[in-house]
Amino acid sequence: MSTNTGSNTGSLGNLQRAFQDYLLVSSDALHAAVRDTRKADRVTLLDVYRDGYALRLIEVLANDYPGLMAMAGPADFDHVARAYITAHPSRLPSVRWFGKDLADFMDKTAPYNKAPAAVEMVRFEWALGEAFDSADVTPISADALMALPPEAWETLAFTPLPSLRRCIFAFEVAQAWQRRDEIEPGNLEVARAAEPVTWAIWRPERVSSFRSLETDETAMLDALIAGRAFPELCEAVAPFSGDDQAPARAAGLLRAWVEGGMIASFRY
Amino acid sequence: MSTAAADFGLGLRPEHYQEIAASPGRVSWFEALSENYMVPGGSPLHWLDRIRRDYPMALHGVSLSIGSIDPLDSRYLDDLKALADRVQPMWVSDHLCFTGLRGLNMHDLLPLPYTEEALNHVSERVMRVQDRLGRRLVLENVSSYVTYAASELSEWDFIAELSRRADCEILLDVNNVYVSAFNHEFDALQFLCAMPRERVRQFHLAGHTHKGSHIIDTHDHPIVPDVWALYAEAVKLFPGVPTMIERDAEIPPYEELLAELDTARVIAAGVRREAAE
Repeated sequence: MSTNTGSNTGSLGNLQRAFQDYLLVSSDALHAAVRDTRKADRVTLLDVYRDGYALRLIEVLANDYPGLMAMAGPADFDHVARAYITAHPSRLPSVRWFGKDLADFMDKTAPYNKAPAAVEMVRFEWALGEAFDSADVTPISADALMALPPEAWETLAFTPLPSLRRCIFAFEVAQAWQRRDEIEPGNLEVARAAEPVTWAIWRPERVSSFRSLETDETAMLDALIAGRAFPELCEAVAPFSGDDQAPARAAGLLRAWVEGGMIASFRY
Repeated sequence: MSTAAADFGLGLRPEHYQEIAASPGRVSWFEALSENYMVPGGSPLHWLDRIRRDYPMALHGVSLSIGSIDPLDSRYLDDLKALADRVQPMWVSDHLCFTGLRGLNMHDLLPLPYTEEALNHVSERVMRVQDRLGRRLVLENVSSYVTYAASELSEWDFIAELSRRADCEILLDVNNVYVSAFNHEFDALQFLCAMPRERVRQFHLAGHTHKGSHIIDTHDHPIVPDVWALYAEAVKLFPGVPTMIERDAEIPPYEELLAELDTARVIAAGVRREAAE
């Protein structure tokens, strides 16, 4: 929502439109509106802005996506970054959110979509970034659950931390990301996983965490996020563990999540 | 929250969070970049709150786009107001520029033409922002690289008149005056002398990159001797105005910035001594 200024946008508006077009589409309409100096011609001076525009946003993306930089190297990174900057000019006040659509852009755009591991790396890094400055919630403790009366477990349901994200990766991007600083940029190799794996990414305190989930753990976490009560969480793991072992397996997984700082609250 | 008097401050940068928290009292105040803290939670807000407990702070934005022909961004103003309520800053500043239009943000401080039309446009918007924030806005002169054929006023006359019409204050960036004076071939001292004394709220100091035919405001180097000399003139003209050093790239160790801040202290003390003699 915005407020209309009702202001005159005559020559001021024309000048601003020409300036922005100079940055975005290399329009030369601005040339006539600026002066040479005795020391420099107007194109040299205008290009301080045009060069700065691209370089500033490339730097933002490099900070957000060090794993992609490690995979692609500076030249290829620069290529995809400039293509993204052209396709997705920033619409928000903070550069913090500028790189949000990079994974979708690469996934839909040749030649970047020929590198699915790189697309997955970008999704992983954006999820880490989202977890980094998501809303602060203190996770519950295992002691709080232990103190509940037995009958509470019949209806007990949970809310995960707002930072919790789940991603399915066909490549070992999380493992590779941890090696991003150990290799020359451009040389980070990412292996294909034996089968697609679900990863949880969350921030229990001030540092983001991530780990892979077992198949039954994924099913149970899906049920938890959907707001199902503990007996239904047991049903979610039963196809993998068998009915007899389901309550113990569900309780063990729940304990691991609570101790890992993944759960924000419970209700019954 | 600390509300002690502020004289010599630094920009609050993540590279220095831990040292700042571990060694309070070496700087009088910090200037936080508003947009960096417009996030739901996490480490940035943790450190902002933690350091705010020990130091006065100012908020300094880069995306108000006060000169744009786009409508003011209500959501941005809401977020800025919420951040100001949280931080209780000494003042809230941004830049006299536009950063984009048609809903886009170029993330750069693009210069305005110094025309009566622009003056009317910006004055009206500053007053509406001030109403919205419930406080005076402090606007910074930017470094610029191009001169518009359409400009009718000098930059200094434009800023001085804007501050009177809109009843706003001025963040006098001494390095930006130096950079623009070189790029546009004007007298930096004339710029300083034209600033209304009672409206100068803060000084900025920073380094820049000299390209021979022009200077770019890069904030990635130490402050050069010529800018220190201009700063001495500014301190003479506007005694008691708080000073702050900006470094946004090639961030050096905290100790290095503290030493640079000591240089500002020495210069300001020298000016005070001269004035007393």
